[in-house]
Amino acid sequence: MSPDTDTRTERRASADRSPRALNDRLGQFTRGFLRRPGASPSAARMVVALLLAVVLFSVLNPRVFLSPINLQNISVAAPEIGIIALAMMIVMLTGGIDLSLVAIANFSAITISTLHTAVSASDPALAASLAPVIVLAGVVVGMLGGAINGFLVSVVGITPILATLATMQIYNGLAIVWTGGSTLYGAPEVLGAIGQAAVANVPLLFLGFLVIAILVAVLVTRTSLGRMIQLEGANSVAALYSAIPRRKVLLRTYTIAGALAGLAGVVFLARNPTASADYGSSYVLLVIVIAVLGGTNPTGGFATVAGVVLATLTLQVVSSGFTAMRLSSYEYAIAQGVILIAVMIFDAVSASRTRRPRAARGRPPGGNPPASASVPVSEN
Amino acid sequence: MDALRRLRGSNNEGVLALVLLGLVVAMSIANPTFFTLNTGFAILRSSIVPVVFALGVLVVVITGGIDVSFAAIAIFAGYATVSFCLTVGFDPGLAGIFAIAIGVGALLGLVNGIVIARFGLPTLIVTLGTQGIFFGAMYTYVGASYYAELPGSMAALATTNLVDVTTASGRAYLHVLVVPVLLLCVLVSLVLKRTMFGRSLYAMGGDLEAARRAGFAVKRTQVWVYVAVGALAAIAGVIHIVLSRSANPRDLVGGELDIIAAVVLGGASIFGGRGSVIGTVLGVLLVQVIKNSLLLVGVPSAWLRTAVGVLLVVGVGVQAIAARRKSRRMRVIDDADPVQSQPEMKVGS
Repeated sequence: MSPDTDTRTERRASADRSPRALNDRLGQFTRGFLRRPGASPSAARMVVALLLAVVLFSVLNPRVFLSPINLQNISVAAPEIGIIALAMMIVMLTGGIDLSLVAIANFSAITISTLHTAVSASDPALAASLAPVIVLAGVVVGMLGGAINGFLVSVVGITPILATLATMQIYNGLAIVWTGGSTLYGAPEVLGAIGQAAVANVPLLFLGFLVIAILVAVLVTRTSLGRMIQLEGANSVAALYSAIPRRKVLLRTYTIAGALAGLAGVVFLARNPTASADYGSSYVLLVIVIAVLGGTNPTGGFATVAGVVLATLTLQVVSSGFTAMRLSSYEYAIAQGVILIAVMIFDAVSASRTRRPRAARGRPPGGNPPASASVPVSEN
Repeated sequence: MDALRRLRGSNNEGVLALVLLGLVVAMSIANPTFFTLNTGFAILRSSIVPVVFALGVLVVVITGGIDVSFAAIAIFAGYATVSFCLTVGFDPGLAGIFAIAIGVGALLGLVNGIVIARFGLPTLIVTLGTQGIFFGAMYTYVGASYYAELPGSMAALATTNLVDVTTASGRAYLHVLVVPVLLLCVLVSLVLKRTMFGRSLYAMGGDLEAARRAGFAVKRTQVWVYVAVGALAAIAGVIHIVLSRSANPRDLVGGELDIIAAVVLGGASIFGGRGSVIGTVLGVLLVQVIKNSLLLVGVPSAWLRTAVGVLLVVGVGVQAIAARRKSRRMRVIDDADPVQSQPEMKVGS
């Protein structure tokens, strides 16, 4: 289907309002949806992967894997990782990366825990009534951390990977200094109650995760900021010529990612009323794996929320499946790495497949075909 | 003016040396125990392993890539070699041990290189993945136990000192491994500056497509780069095990940032095309001196991580702002290319 025929159908469709035209328009809409680069194929692929993983582990160890407790565990453990992965996805959309997200989440959890302990030491009733404010403070701290990242990336002009590598150390180091390296206990009771609550056997945390995912999807696909974020990542030169305020977009992107990481810190506390500087150190690699697995292009421009949510679930299924099979966390680390690289190789190979017909006809005179997809330099 | 510029160095090595010197002077005034042979030798000793790592990172960074799997490769190669020698019960001698480890490291580096070059994937994400694979594979298939005893030749090397003098503040030792590491620095420097291979690395980092069109075998060079990093990491891994006199599989991994920070502080551009061995060594020394001074001044060790992070932000931030200013100046001269004003654009070195 060439773009020419598309525009012609569109013109005809807008000309008359017969049922056939409506059908045409519907068909065009679904086609357009399916052809959107990186959109549906990755989500569809993840549905297949998720089903495969579920079937595989159900066959291998049905007694443990399919037990209600295990399924509940998966849906309780998924939200915190998924929210950080969504934050990573937003940053990756701009072609950046944020290694400090987990450190921010821990910082937020530590802030909430400390505030709660301080207030409830003098007046437990006050602490309970102030719980929303305390939780909000944690999210604000996350936003602040993200804003600092955004400032370093957009205003100072440091490469995202270096800026966030540095802030990861700074936030983590400050958290160690603050807690003295030990684990803090205590969190608002409301959070614990939310962590335990379930609607029709589905944990409330999981429903919250879905709501956040939908909000992120709306942000990315339905707002002008989302559009600008996507263009910035897809082609920053084009974005520059389109008068997109680069600094403002990047600053907001990293601030939003920081706020999401702060929310993840709240989820940490809801699951477990403890906070420490070293919690979830393996998440840094994991959320990158999830984002890339979910169809996020690490060089920017393309990502889908549905893909990321499904990838989160898939990796949680694999993780709990590994546990059910009595495999160690190190074997899970191997699996993560293999999955990450396999998916990227698969994407690279299929991308070169779709390009091949043009290349096979012979190189255009006076120049080579653009090699941007095969140039492995821009990981910043 | 020209002499001044030469002193400053093409990657601001002179500025770095000045900062280092200033820090040493300031520390010596603040705390007289700092300016002793003991401290100097201790800093040199603690720099041995980071310098070897940094040489590897420098080579990758010059080509415009990044490698975060080197620590995993190092501990894998070193630990696997020691574990092999101890379980088989035979000591192949120092040369043999280094050879085995370098072989293992080069092989792991080859995995990185092939995946990155063959499929043209982002280097950071590939090496993040292989880091997990290598580390997990070591724990699962090589072993996870701690060896307090080393093969005889390694144990003997561990206690060999080059200089052993008694000063007013006690005895000061300079470990013999400083010498081979210095030779390694000279070797890498010569390869980078005097060989076609070295020049091709800078060309690739400057502009990969331009290097390809100029006739460099870009993909093959890229594979060799990661093999070289693997081999260098393996050397560092063995040295680390020798210096710590034990083989602990939990060591090294997690300290990647300090090395990358040191290399970037040493003037290497993360976008590729710039960097020197002298700058890198100065960068490593700076990080080690700062660590040492913080301890001497009495700052709790918990602050170390934050300090390195702040150092990185300041060092890279200054570079970024300077680069932008330079590109802005270039735009004034030839007011043709509006893309120049983009802060993240590469600035021709």
